[in-house]
Amino acid sequence: MAASPASIRQRRSGLRFTDRRKLFLFCLAVPAVIYVIVVALYPLAQGILYSFYDYNLLRRGGRMVFVGLDNYVELLTDATGQRALINTFAFTFGAVFFEFIFGLGLAMLLWRDGRFNRIALAFLLIPVTITPLVVGLIFRALLAVDYGYIGYYLAEWGITSPRGLFAGTTTALPTLIFIDIWEWTPLVALILLAGLKSLPGDILEAASADGATAWQRFRLVILPLLLPTVFLALVLRMMDAFRVFDSIFVTTGGGPADATNSLMVYGVKQGLQFFNIGYASAIGNVTILCIAFIAAVFALLIRRADVRANET
Amino acid sequence: MTKHKSTAWKLGAAALLSAGLAGSAFAADKPLAGVTLTLASQNDQFAAVIAKLAPQFEEKTGATVKVDILDYGSLLTKTQADFVGHTKSYDLVTMDIVWAGQYAENKYTVDLTDWIKRDAAELQLDDIYPATIKYIGQYDGKQVAFPFAGYAAVMAYRKDLLDAAGIKVPETAEDFVAAAIKLTDPSKKIYGFVANGQKGAAVAQDWLQYNAQLGGSVLDASGKPALNSDANVASLKVYKELFDKAAPPGAVDYDWGGREESFRQGLVAMMETWSVGAPGYYDPSMSKVVDSVGISFTPVGKGLPVKYGLGGWGMGINADIDPAKQEAAWQFIKWLTSAPVQKEFNMLGAGSYIRKSTLADPDLNAKYPFLPIIAKSFENADGDYRPRIPQYPEIQDLLGTAVNNVLVGGTDPKAALDEAQKQAEKLF
Amino acid sequence: MIPVLWLVATAYKPPKDMFSSPPTFIFEPTLHNFQRVFEVFDVWSLLKSSIIISVGSAVLSLLLGVPAGYALARSNSRYAIWVAYFFLAIRIVPIIATLIPFYLMMRDIGLLGTWWAVILINTTLNCAFVTWMMFSYFRSLPSDMEEAALTDGCTLWGAFYRVALPTVVPGIIASALFCVMFSWNDFLVAMFLTNMDSKPLSVALLAAFGTKDITWGTLGALAHFSTIPIMLMALFLNRYFVQGLTRGVH
Repeated sequence: MAASPASIRQRRSGLRFTDRRKLFLFCLAVPAVIYVIVVALYPLAQGILYSFYDYNLLRRGGRMVFVGLDNYVELLTDATGQRALINTFAFTFGAVFFEFIFGLGLAMLLWRDGRFNRIALAFLLIPVTITPLVVGLIFRALLAVDYGYIGYYLAEWGITSPRGLFAGTTTALPTLIFIDIWEWTPLVALILLAGLKSLPGDILEAASADGATAWQRFRLVILPLLLPTVFLALVLRMMDAFRVFDSIFVTTGGGPADATNSLMVYGVKQGLQFFNIGYASAIGNVTILCIAFIAAVFALLIRRADVRANET
Repeated sequence: MTKHKSTAWKLGAAALLSAGLAGSAFAADKPLAGVTLTLASQNDQFAAVIAKLAPQFEEKTGATVKVDILDYGSLLTKTQADFVGHTKSYDLVTMDIVWAGQYAENKYTVDLTDWIKRDAAELQLDDIYPATIKYIGQYDGKQVAFPFAGYAAVMAYRKDLLDAAGIKVPETAEDFVAAAIKLTDPSKKIYGFVANGQKGAAVAQDWLQYNAQLGGSVLDASGKPALNSDANVASLKVYKELFDKAAPPGAVDYDWGGREESFRQGLVAMMETWSVGAPGYYDPSMSKVVDSVGISFTPVGKGLPVKYGLGGWGMGINADIDPAKQEAAWQFIKWLTSAPVQKEFNMLGAGSYIRKSTLADPDLNAKYPFLPIIAKSFENADGDYRPRIPQYPEIQDLLGTAVNNVLVGGTDPKAALDEAQKQAEKLF
Repeated sequence: MIPVLWLVATAYKPPKDMFSSPPTFIFEPTLHNFQRVFEVFDVWSLLKSSIIISVGSAVLSLLLGVPAGYALARSNSRYAIWVAYFFLAIRIVPIIATLIPFYLMMRDIGLLGTWWAVILINTTLNCAFVTWMMFSYFRSLPSDMEEAALTDGCTLWGAFYRVALPTVVPGIIASALFCVMFSWNDFLVAMFLTNMDSKPLSVALLAAFGTKDITWGTLGALAHFSTIPIMLMALFLNRYFVQGLTRGVH
């Protein structure tokens, strides 16, 4: 400790080395922080301000009228707003739940290194890379009852209603969840696989030497160690799923009726179509609060899992 | 000698002029040289044609016209943002007939009234259908856009299917409904009727069209919303019946593209549509019904005054740009709407009409046999069945959700329109 | 895999066969759809914009995010972890909450309609992502080598640039890939902020879709250009991708 670089450096310059190092690290971090504050937080702060006003750019010459919490009250009491909130939560939890189950299965299958697995891994990435807009359009065409390769036969064989999946108030949202699962399960699988690959090999070997069954090994050894990764995958996906827009926008536009209207679809309509800035900002802020809540819960879970993983 | 000399001098001068001064002489012919006009255009049939013809305008005047082709949603968003943010991204914008109220209220575009008066002779105003000028761009005493693409609501039908079933081309709305149901045979994949069913603008606009023909109206006599009037509820019941009994099962998801495609592919016997789509039915590269398609008037309910829906696009000039550019933009509008350009425009498949002479043109009539139908529709046009008030976008959205909800069986017509009415009243 | 095959097949289907009921599986392949795409769109200019926007945003995000991630990982300050969480939290901001104020801001500084506007706003989310990713990456690496280099007389910058940075190349590549993908696929922001000269492919896809006479075939053809480059990139960099994730998720 005495011959640390600190003592050597200290002699060369006026500042103590640890201070210089602090300064150096500070300088490295500061551009990113400033950037994010200027470009993200400033507009965000404006958005929060707007949400307390009745501010419609197309009415009354765009004058702002202070209305307090009215925009929020309206969003939470209005049937369309409530439905959008419920839809968004249902979509997020539904999609992420199945993405996790399937993703974990896929990751376990691909864990062992092999030629086949490497090729499979490469193909897994394909859905993730396709523009979400295009993914929505593809499924819209495939599921169309009059001419779609899948939709036509599903309706013809009586599996779905003759009008198809997107037209049913009860089937449209599950269909969109299915599309999301198709697109994003591979990403969840990849994150979990990365987690699996970084597990310490000796513990696993010890477990199998102890004569534990595959299921026991999975439940008692692998899963607890994997938990931090699991939570990270879940929270990343939830944050994105909560902001779902593209696939809904090009398939159902939020319909039929309001069955697939999500917060983002609703917010974009209010903000970028009607320029009802106050209300749209309120929708945006409610979205932030909801995701922040979800993220906070998961952050707590991650911390706990971290602590437990370190104990074992 | 002197004469010779002077001729020689003149010759020399001429040579000099043509060699050295050609550039400036050129510029004098082209008063708008160096001006660039950016045009935001709806991605309708006319958009690609305008882009194709724009170099001719440049040759004539020197002004470059750049055409930004956008889908309906993006066009609305981007132009509104441009207007409210005063960002001057666009000099010219195509304006949907139903946006007139918003444009007038917010003064987005230059009021063209005085310019039209000034250049009346040049515009050959009496050759332009008065209804197109009145509805496409006139609002509250202002002319916020000049029509360049008038559409008539027409009925497209399949001669072969109607003949086979022994049905006359329906002339009343009641006949239309009966014929549509009779022509439907799902086992042969033939459906009597198709219209937009998709949530949003698609279903709202199509229902408003049928609603008007069945005697319904969105506003009452005093201009207040009356979405849940008895006539509207009745017409929505009919619309639902048509979807249940006569439309392809997928129609509840159709927007304009799906609707047109289902007709071109021979799935459907009759539909009401905009005249702009008609050239597509006669195009063998995309249509399977080239030989059997017929175009007629939209059937109107028994005992109701005979009126035909009018829609289409006008061209507006951004009020934020400087006066010289506004004048240049006006030159472009005058050029685009002039008789010779309108003819070429439509020969290239724009499907957009405003002039009597264009609709009567023999070359165009040889190519498109349905032009007399458009002409007569324009003479009895109603461009207000979709109310062109500033609140139209919100009303359309409310109806778009309500009608779609009825079609998919989520609620009944009365309840849906009551709810929409409640929301609409908040806007006034 | 079926959806991808459909996308590819559709582009070569003649427009007449697109909408048959029941659907046809056999058709004569045609390049008509590609022809049409080139008639209506300036595909090369769209492609150029897509590349500039996504690469530009990725580069900027890396320039800001990698040093920040390093600094947060090596700092002893107890605030460091909170700053890292702050970056993670930026990711939750939905675009609708910031887009309009950002639009007006870009207008005021004259960047509206340029690639810069899109690059700048995409960089907020991307930079936050890169910072978080590199933070966890650097944190999982022991700092022994840097300490040793510093003892040998290396500068602080040298320890970061020449010693620490080379060891995290897979992480940087994985982050870059994510950034490029995100910007490439986004259309809402680009639609709102670009003009006709700067709009990318994703915006044109939307325009192609919202019309009466462009059919699935043309869309499939246009989607070729928007999907294949990014897909190839992911396939070739797949190794780094998984490797990058392996470290990055901690």
